[in-house]
Amino acid sequence: MTTTNDTDRGIDPRSPRFGAAITTVLLAATIVLTLIPETWVAGIVLLAVIVVLFAVGGIAGIRRHPYGALFRRVVRPRLAPPAELEAPEPPTFAQQVGLFVTAVALLLALLGVPYAAPIGAAVALVAAFLNAVFDVCIGCLLYVWLVRAGVFRPRRGVA
Amino acid sequence: MAVLVGVLALATVLGLLLRHRTGRARSAGTAASTRQDADGLALDADYGTAATFVQFSTPTCARCPATRRQLAVVADQHEGVRRIEIDLTERPELASRFDVMQTPTVLLLDADRAIRTRFGGPPRPPELAAALATVLTAGSTGTAGTTGTADTTGTQEPR
Repeated sequence: MTTTNDTDRGIDPRSPRFGAAITTVLLAATIVLTLIPETWVAGIVLLAVIVVLFAVGGIAGIRRHPYGALFRRVVRPRLAPPAELEAPEPPTFAQQVGLFVTAVALLLALLGVPYAAPIGAAVALVAAFLNAVFDVCIGCLLYVWLVRAGVFRPRRGVA
Repeated sequence: MAVLVGVLALATVLGLLLRHRTGRARSAGTAASTRQDADGLALDADYGTAATFVQFSTPTCARCPATRRQLAVVADQHEGVRRIEIDLTERPELASRFDVMQTPTVLLLDADRAIRTRFGGPPRPPELAAALATVLTAGSTGTAGTTGTADTTGTQEPR
């Protein structure tokens, strides 16, 4: 269930947006760096760092994400308390989506596919930007599309 | 750099579009040809005698708990109005049947369980109240209880 009233589990909804803002900047830098031949290697290294960060958030969970720690230490003390806490599942899912997109882009780029890195970074950038600036919830959109695509099978016995 | 500006512009347009559309009431029309029933989603007792909200949710939906509370409050304020929530992960076939593209998606059913209004995203409170008022008013005038009368067509323009 996504209802979260217990403080142990719930996260400040502004924390994932803060993280998405940092991710947006890093992905923007990746696009620029990987489009210039001289800085391509630096861009790929940066993309690899982003992949690792998404992996932490997507696999260990959003509450273990370093941006979350940064938010709690630097940003949170300067803000009013959150109106309410949110469940960790939606932003964790968004991290997994980011991990998938950037990992595929990194792999293809290392295999020599031209423009794989900037295109993958651009796709992830759009999602991170929408999350950070417009508070668009990736899990509210993409998850349903995956359900409709048949990624999740109907569970037997649940009617 | 131009590429980056283009990607950011695209994301901004996308974000503005999503923000403009989210939570708006969309009238389903009551003409017999376009009429869609939402019967059999739950037990008979779970449907309201005057109107029913059907909310589609998923575990990765950050907005769904707030919408759940919003609908619960509105349902409690009106006699004969009830609320059904469906986790699409458990019943993925419903996502296609009701063309759900995002969560939460809310359907407003009349007493005959025909879909009268739909909301993609968390319903905007004034539009939700107006749509419900339309259904409740139409329900009381034609309470003699004919199923699928077309004379209510066009009575609910939510804007």
